[in-house]
Amino acid sequence: MKLFVFAIGGTGSRVLKSMIMLCAAGVRPVDANGRPLQDVEIVPIIIDPHKSNADLKRTERLLSAYNTIREKLYGKNANANGFFATKISSLKDVVSSSQVPLDDSFIFNLAAVENYKFRDFISYNTMNEPNQALTSLLFADYQLENKMSIGFVGSPNIGSVALNGVKDSNEFKAFANVFADGDRIFFISSIFGGTGAAGFPIIVKNIRQAKNIDAKNKAFLQKAPIGGLTVLPYFSLMESDDKEDKRIDNADFVVKTQSALEYYNNTLTGDGQNAVNAIFYLGDHGHNAPYAYDPGDKRDQHDPAHLIEMVGAMAPFKFMSMSDSELTDLATGNPLPTKAFEYGLEQDTDFVDFAAFGQETRSMIYRPLVKLHLLYIFLRTGLDGMIGQGFTEDAPKITREFTGTQFYRVLTQQFFDNYIEWLTELLHNRRHVTLFNEGEMDMNKAIHNVITKKGFFGNKKVDNDVFKAEMNRLSRDNNRYGSNPELKLMDIFYTAAEKIINERYNNLN
Amino acid sequence: MRDKVIFLVIGAVATVLFWIFRVELYEALYTVNGFSDQMYNTGAYGSVAVITIAMAWGMAAIYYYVINSVKFDRWYHWLAMLGVTSVLTPVVCYLVVSHLLEGFDYSTAEFTFEVYNILFTALTFIIASFSMRWWSSNCRHTPIPQ
Repeated sequence: MKLFVFAIGGTGSRVLKSMIMLCAAGVRPVDANGRPLQDVEIVPIIIDPHKSNADLKRTERLLSAYNTIREKLYGKNANANGFFATKISSLKDVVSSSQVPLDDSFIFNLAAVENYKFRDFISYNTMNEPNQALTSLLFADYQLENKMSIGFVGSPNIGSVALNGVKDSNEFKAFANVFADGDRIFFISSIFGGTGAAGFPIIVKNIRQAKNIDAKNKAFLQKAPIGGLTVLPYFSLMESDDKEDKRIDNADFVVKTQSALEYYNNTLTGDGQNAVNAIFYLGDHGHNAPYAYDPGDKRDQHDPAHLIEMVGAMAPFKFMSMSDSELTDLATGNPLPTKAFEYGLEQDTDFVDFAAFGQETRSMIYRPLVKLHLLYIFLRTGLDGMIGQGFTEDAPKITREFTGTQFYRVLTQQFFDNYIEWLTELLHNRRHVTLFNEGEMDMNKAIHNVITKKGFFGNKKVDNDVFKAEMNRLSRDNNRYGSNPELKLMDIFYTAAEKIINERYNNLN
Repeated sequence: MRDKVIFLVIGAVATVLFWIFRVELYEALYTVNGFSDQMYNTGAYGSVAVITIAMAWGMAAIYYYVINSVKFDRWYHWLAMLGVTSVLTPVVCYLVVSHLLEGFDYSTAEFTFEVYNILFTALTFIIASFSMRWWSSNCRHTPIPQ
């Protein structure tokens, strides 16, 4: 199954970043029996005209690092277990035909939009006087003057016009052609901004009206299972230094949200619409720290990771886990009435650790994230001293040269630097996400509010030696890894971590 | 797996050969008129060989399967074990031989013989190590990687 994930606007990129972290940890969609789904491939498509957006760049770099690591581990295979299990491909990767020219990127090419001021995009100057007057009623002066290379600055009325051309792009045609029976689509967008609030309904409309486009699989596309994460206000903005600059105003967030929800209800999710099979609403009003004011041309939108984005990243997994019969009338293939989901913490607290989440969330993320975090500690503090001993000497050998390979550098520097930055941002944002104790490299104390079990001589110990012993055991006479030391390291660590976590920590269940 | 079994078989054969040719080997290394005859006549060569083989294989087994720890998996840990075995075994042999040769004054010869026996002990320990280490979870690459 391919899941095409349209990540729209700044929130789209940030949620996608959290989703990549979960995929790296080995979080996977499961079937009704809790077994991981096979052959899952995620195809992220980032839609944001604001290409210099720092959040978008960070997400794109992370995707690139993820794929570098994953390809070394599993090649092009979709099926895998363990860290980086889920295959993530760009649209170009999944388009077999070379007839449609595509950028080798996860970012949707919006050159037709981003190079213009909105005024020029709608050819305001060539309109006759009554049309200009009407346009001026619909759009404020600052909106007409908006350079769309910085996005739609919280103006969905700009986005709804500018993104209407998406259906004519090469990317959309390629997507429509490659979409197959059994594939699904998921949208990630905020509802209180500009790009996401406008992009979600427009692209859904284009998909449901696919009969008008020239695509071989348009019949599948029209009836495709579509899910959406609609993020309600979860951060606020500081006032602009320039008191006159009111392009984005906190006070508008709720009003814009209400209007957009009403619009969604009338076009996407309400009775008789059924344009979206499942929608996930997520927001956190009142527990947030204000971000610096930035419509896109001040500081390039470098916003910290947030609990809402991490929770939102689970929505696509939940959507993939839903059976066809939950989403579609199997007799006709038509979408069933929209299923709506909301999310609540088990404990309403400003300091969110694993215990604050509900059971379903914990069972999805606790073990994978703990494993990933222990891997981080192990690679930073343990592996180097083990080279030349134990499991590293079993074929395929993990030699000193291994630590200089592209795989190892991308994993330990690019990826884990981003991982720690993500955790740190989550921790220092509000709500404070305290999954792991900041800076703690002692495995016994690394997980917030989770200690090791009692043993005969005090608490059981978890350290690099415990991992080494278990990895030695797993590596002995293990011929599964051929000439792939990268897979050997990651796979035996993953298996060792599963056992050690179960045996030695007082886990949250 | 087959290679590992071959190493074990080679080690076992070498040890059996040591047992079979114990007298020739010991006398090739150290012969003293009277003492060597008494060693032969009382069957002390057999006792010394059995103790040497048992101690060397036993200590190697203890290192690879009882200690078997990631904290003791470096070459110098194995070397320390070799040293302990190479000292302890001749001491035990000396006590046994002294008992078997009670009534004779061969203490200097016995001591010198046991100094030479360090060599056989060390060799047997090395043979035992390379025969059995492959199945150890933590020390199979000690003293040198496979």
